[in-house]
Order: sequence, then C-alpha cells, then structure tokens
Amino acid sequence: MKIKFRIRRYNPHDSKAPEPYYQAYTVDVTEGMTVLEALLKISEEQDSTLSFRKSCRSAICGSCAMTVNGFARLTCNLQVLPEHSKMGEMTIEPLANHRPVKDLVVDMTPFWNKMEKVSPFLMPTEKTAQNAVTAEDEEVIDQSQRCIMCACCNAECNSLEIDERFTAPAALAKAWRFVGDVREGHGVKRLARLSEEHGMWDCVRCIHCTQYCPKGVAPLKQIERLRSAAMKAGILDNPGAKHVEAMADSVEKFGRLDEAAMTFKTLGFLKSLGKIPLGIRMELHGKMPHPYIVPQIERIEEVREIYKEIEKTAALKEKKKE
Amino acid sequence: MEHELRYAYYPGCVSQHMTKETNETTRKVAARLGIQLYDMPKASCCGAGLLTDYDYPLYIAINARIFAEAEAMGMDILTICSTCLMVMSTANRDLKADPKLLADTNEVLAKSGLKYSGDIEVKQLLWVLAADYGLENLKKQVVKPLNWLKAAPFYGCHSLRPSDALGFDDPEKPWSLDAAIEALGAEAVQYRGKTKCCGFQVDIVAEKTAEKMTGRRLLEGKERGANCFVTPCPFCHINLDNYQGLAEKALDTKIDMPVFHFSQLVGLALGMSPQELGLGRHLVSPEKIIK
Repeated sequence: MKIKFRIRRYNPHDSKAPEPYYQAYTVDVTEGMTVLEALLKISEEQDSTLSFRKSCRSAICGSCAMTVNGFARLTCNLQVLPEHSKMGEMTIEPLANHRPVKDLVVDMTPFWNKMEKVSPFLMPTEKTAQNAVTAEDEEVIDQSQRCIMCACCNAECNSLEIDERFTAPAALAKAWRFVGDVREGHGVKRLARLSEEHGMWDCVRCIHCTQYCPKGVAPLKQIERLRSAAMKAGILDNPGAKHVEAMADSVEKFGRLDEAAMTFKTLGFLKSLGKIPLGIRMELHGKMPHPYIVPQIERIEEVREIYKEIEKTAALKEKKKE
Repeated sequence: MEHELRYAYYPGCVSQHMTKETNETTRKVAARLGIQLYDMPKASCCGAGLLTDYDYPLYIAINARIFAEAEAMGMDILTICSTCLMVMSTANRDLKADPKLLADTNEVLAKSGLKYSGDIEVKQLLWVLAADYGLENLKKQVVKPLNWLKAAPFYGCHSLRPSDALGFDDPEKPWSLDAAIEALGAEAVQYRGKTKCCGFQVDIVAEKTAEKMTGRRLLEGKERGANCFVTPCPFCHINLDNYQGLAEKALDTKIDMPVFHFSQLVGLALGMSPQELGLGRHLVSPEKIIK
C-alpha cells in the first residue's frame, strides 16, 4: 500500500532553506513494516539527506523516538499500517520539548543533564550495603529499572513544555530507582532535594508520561512513590506536601475536599492574602469556596475507621521489617 | 433506549461547591432525557490524586468504600468530574486486576461491615450520552441546534489517560466530545491542545506553570477560530474560566474566551435558559455568544 509520509525537515546550516519545512515522501508500505523501517527506506531509496537516530531496531536502545502524528513514539516499535488507518495521516516530527538539531534529530543534552542531577547510581552506606534485596523489595523498583532513556516521557510532559527547569519524568522515575532501593543510604537527602522547586511536586499529573512510555516504566507511578516516601520521611515544608497533607486531613475530617482550607494551608497566611483580588471577583459570581462549611458526608466514621486501619497495617509491616 | 438508564450519581466535591452550576445543570439535563440519577449520600471524596500521593493503600480503600456503596445500590457510577473519573477508574482497575489487593482492601472495609466485589464500572456524563444514551437519540432531543458555536473540545487529561484504566476514548484520537458537540449542532474546532493539560493540579503548588499552561491551551483553540471552549471536567473549567484572567496576565495577552461545562452545552441545545444553566456564575461571560 502506498502511503504518504509528511516529514519535518530542518537544517540550520543550509543557507538556502535554514527554516523548518515539511517534505512529502510516498512509501510502498508492506504488512508489519515499522515507521523506522519506512524512514530507512526513504533514506536508502529516495533521499539520503534525511537525518534521524536509530540503532537496535528492537525497542532496546531508545534511539529512534520521534513525534508520530502528534505523539512521542518509539518508531521501531510502531507499525505504519495500523497507525495510518487510525490517524489517517503519517506526519513525522522531532521529539517535542527538545531542540531540533537537524531534521528528526534533537539535542539530548538537557535530558542527560536532568538525569545527571538526580545522581543515577546507588549510594549505599556501609550498613545499608548489607541489606538483602527480597523479591518484594525488587518489585517496588522493577518498573523504574526498565527505562531505555528514549525521552518519550519528557517529550510528552506538559509541565516540561511550560517550565524547562522541571526535573521531568525520566529523571524522577530514575530517582525512584535508587530512593526505592533498600541498599540506598542517602534516600532522605535525595528526597529533600527532589522536593525543591521544579522537582517532584511540579508534575501536573497529565499522565502523558505513563501513557507514552514504550517500556512500561509508568513514570507517574514512580513520582507518586517519591511523593509518598518524601512525606513519610517528614519532608513536609513545601507547598506540594502541604497540599497533599491538607487533602488527607480534609477527607478524614469531612469526607470531602475543603478547597478554601486547602489553599490556606498550602500557601500559608501571607501568600493567601495575594489571592484576595481574585477571591473578590469569584465571590461576586458565587464561586468563592468558603472554608469549613463543607457539609460532612453520611457515615464519616467509616472513613475514619479506614484511616485507622491503614495506619495500623502499615505500623505492623514496619515492625515486621525490623 | 431499550432499557432504563440508572446510575449512582457522584458529582465530585468541586461540583457540589465551586462549580455547582454543572451539578445543577446535569440533574436538569438527566431529568429531561429520562436518565435516572440516584444520590450517594455516604460517598466521600476520591482523593483527586492527592491521596494517591499520600498513601496508596489508603487511596484504594477510600475508593473501594465508594464502589461498595454503588454496588449495594446495584448501579454503575456516573460522575461529572474527569479527575474523579480517572482516580476512581485507576483504583477500580487495580482492584479488579489484583485479587490480593482486593482481599486486603476488603479486610479494611470489613471493620465497617462493607465489602466490594469488583462489579461496578465508573462512567462520566459525556460517555453515558455518547454510548449508553446514544448521540442519535440526543440529536432527536435538540430543540435549539447550536449552529453558531465554534466549540473547542477540551477533553481534559483525566478523561483520556491512562487509557488502560479508562478504556473509552482513544487518547490519540478521542471522538466522544467532538461527536457530542456536532450532535448538538455546533462545530467542533480542531486544535493542538485538545488532548493536553490545563495545569490544574499545580494551581497553588507551581502557579506560574499552571497559568501559562491554561493560557497556552486557550490560545491554541482561539487561533483555530474557536468562539468558545467546552470541557467535561470541572477542574479544567476552573482553570480555563475562573483563572483565565491570571493566564492573560501571565502571557500578557487578552484571551476573552467563554468556557462551557459539557452539561451546559447539552442544556443549551435542549432549550434551557442561561439562568437555568448557571452561566452567570462564570467569570468570563458567555453572554456575547448566547442566542
């Protein structure tokens, strides 16, 4: 079947056409052909100037991630025919959230810098190095070990799209790989650093990372694990943790979310004052949430019983470990 | 419709308070269409994702308690909040996939004499109209086709992802909101941000990120000719409407884009008045595009 590929071309060193443009190629696609194979066919048979990264062709090396029809995909892992029949087009662009260098090749330097910042290696103490890793311990970090550094998650990350300083899902998932390891000796220090601005709490929970990771790393799940671990380690003096704590309190007290109280508890008195002008506008439209007037749900005691039980179970588990 | 449509109705915390206009409109729309909504007086907050950060087993148990209430009512849950939809669907996926998790959770629930068997589904109003009720049937009920509206569908992250928990729309090519807009007589505008994030979850944690993100999405729709936005999610509505002024400031540009709750767009096409739909509660007035 003949399929038209629309490919974003870019060569800043080409004095005649230094701006990006789209070029069309028609490829005779056979059953089972991957997007990467189609690109190789174009490069071999039609246009040897087309640049893209590739290596293993087996979804292991992580080199060939690109934007296919608007979403970050590993091109060696994506077949042309089903993708084309679903989307009705075949548009190939470089990964988003990364600076294109030439055609479909992007600059990965920021990706590696973020990775380096989370110290992606085990730092045991003499004592923690002796900890045996049980199957259960391994399971907790299993997903985070599957990363092949393809950057699909960072390319899809909505938070990174807006704030280039955000640590972003790839490095956060990698951070959990070590924080969650029972042999790690500096977990709390790591968690404190990861709780700073542009860190774990700046994730917007858009779930693009988990949806588009081709290896099942589920970065959002690892970010949630980091957040739980940080709070359990007592790293609470930041807006993200305060926000979650306020929510947990609100549900236990009322069974409901108390928006006004949560804003106040998260921001504190002074910063909440900054919200007054908007608050007045909202009040005029009947939109201002008023704190502590949230009606309680029926049978709130069941919710409180759940809180108590979960706490008991966790304490028991801790004890067993010791 | 071959059979009666009955649901355990879970409006979510925010639509009982800040965005109550969509709760009230949903009740009116359901009554008009003959969809029966039964209140869940015991249902707590789902945790909005924040309880997931706090403690995973607690998040699962709190949600299982909500499911147990619906199960005892013998109904699936219908919500009008995409975040509730995602949070509950994810918990439901995990409980159904992992017998040990279900057993451990039931042990916790048993202290209050409750049990969840894993038998309910969680849906949202958009899906119920698109599938259970049917858009062809909805079309027949339209008394005022909205043919002057060019509506940008804003699905909201939590209506689309994770698709293995939600399982309705394809996150790369969602159809339900687009098709519903067309069924009501309006035009569904295609734009880049349609499946992306409004930034709500970091509104008070990383304000600047949220404000810029909201503004960018609105501008993406505006540039493609939209004269209004429509969303099935009240949190997206808060950002797109309530905080549009902040987004304008953050991006230093005027946006002035009215934003409808999905329920309101349906109500409008069914002939309800702006007062009935609570449009006066919006911060960006939709007055100029109401006929």
